[in-house]
Amino acid sequence: MYQTHSQREFAIEFQPQIHILRPSIHSRRANIVVKFQDLYGFTVEGNVDDVNILNEVREKVRQQGRVWWALEASKGANWYLQPQVSSLTEGIALKSSLKLSNLTNAITLKRLIRKGIPPVLRPKVWFSLSGAAKKKSTVPESYYSDLTKAVEGKVTAATKQIDHDLPRTFPGHPWLDTPEGHSALRRVLVGYSFRDSDVGYCQGLNYVAALLLLVMKTEEDAFWMLAVLLENVLVSDCYTNNLSGCHVEQRVFQDLLVKKCPRIATQLEELEFDVSLVATEWFLCLFSKSLPSEVGLPLSLSCALSLS
Amino acid sequence: MSAYRADEDYDYLFKLVLIGDSGVGKSNLLSRFTRNEFNLESKSTIGVEFATRSIRVDDKIVKAQIWDTAGQERYRAITSAYYRGAVGALLVYDVTRHVTFENVERWLKELRDHTDANIVIMFVGNKADLRHLRAVSTEDAKAFAERENTYFMETSALESLNVENAFTEVLTQIYHVVSRKALDIGDDPAALPKGETINVKDDVSAVKKVGCCSV
Repeated sequence: MYQTHSQREFAIEFQPQIHILRPSIHSRRANIVVKFQDLYGFTVEGNVDDVNILNEVREKVRQQGRVWWALEASKGANWYLQPQVSSLTEGIALKSSLKLSNLTNAITLKRLIRKGIPPVLRPKVWFSLSGAAKKKSTVPESYYSDLTKAVEGKVTAATKQIDHDLPRTFPGHPWLDTPEGHSALRRVLVGYSFRDSDVGYCQGLNYVAALLLLVMKTEEDAFWMLAVLLENVLVSDCYTNNLSGCHVEQRVFQDLLVKKCPRIATQLEELEFDVSLVATEWFLCLFSKSLPSEVGLPLSLSCALSLS
Repeated sequence: MSAYRADEDYDYLFKLVLIGDSGVGKSNLLSRFTRNEFNLESKSTIGVEFATRSIRVDDKIVKAQIWDTAGQERYRAITSAYYRGAVGALLVYDVTRHVTFENVERWLKELRDHTDANIVIMFVGNKADLRHLRAVSTEDAKAFAERENTYFMETSALESLNVENAFTEVLTQIYHVVSRKALDIGDDPAALPKGETINVKDDVSAVKKVGCCSV
């Protein structure tokens, strides 16, 4: 059983094609709330304006997709996965990659990632460029199944909290909120809580891991993505016992706000409003709880991967 | 008393905080009181959430700005701003999980470390509808409340039992503290005990303070 569930595709296959949603004239007039299922199976509720914004985002993603396909056609499939190209995005300047063509490719790739990765390519591109593939390759093939097997039945403070949060993660989601979805999410979170006992389990990771499961399609890849995010990509100690990394992020965010949006910053200061009260959730959940699933996590990862 | 009123029309604005272990039902108490909603499929709270509701006390309109936060231990480190200016608190435990009752002492300490000594505290045993699963007796909880000098009520956000009462009681008590204090100072400031300065502004930081964050 453990050998198989990391390999198989999830039962629910989400429509890879994105449809433009057309609100009827009536709903536009009456400003009726529109309800629909998004790319990753979430029910999104919003007014016509919200739907229009999401449509714009989808259109941009579609256009970006065309750029990716065109590049694949000219540079060859998986050009972005070549070590000379991806290592530059990781900030490692290999001698061999100082060739001009590689450099151009790396710069193109950064720009492309920043503008968004087409949904169908996300699993492959995220897995490779985040370093998750490399991380996985340094341990025996059976690492994840061994880990889940070894921790089965163990009870810790982390597992108790995880069990408490499983039904409260994305309630109502057609796959996550099923026994199968709960078990997959549980295995990823419990497994990670034993991999890094400093982190254990922090509320918020449930939302991140759940979306990773939906995007990455296989449980094992979701696990490695979670590992690389916490260990290499994000600010360190975001989720450890005193959330110190999260404090750092909040301070940086406040400084950025003063620098980039001085009027908003001044206004908030006059009101003595501490932005960390709202921003904590954004950063700890990588926007997966506050923005539609098609936008939140993909946006966070695009930023993180293009900066790293 | 329970009429829902327009947001900007109020005499007092009081900040209340909800605290207690993860999963005791803080968010549902909040949604029951402010929107009369209960969500069986609620998501775990990360960071902080807010909601408001105004009620009438005597002839005044009191607006409650209620803050809700994540219950997991490590989140306590980021919540000093959470307590700032709070004049009331609902300290919630789950009557079906004894461990949530055992932890209230630590929550109480946290509360007293971060807030004014005059804060009005309501000790709340939630999920009282789950009678067959009860793990904390009313007597034990009552004894604790008496010892710690807090108010006490058992509630059910699901059945809408006592939720209204719990919040209203806290708000009314705060209102009394505030109006009495204003009266004392107005009548005879010299009557205050020597060496003790009561700063009305700090003490009742919430009175008529308007801000965008008052939702």
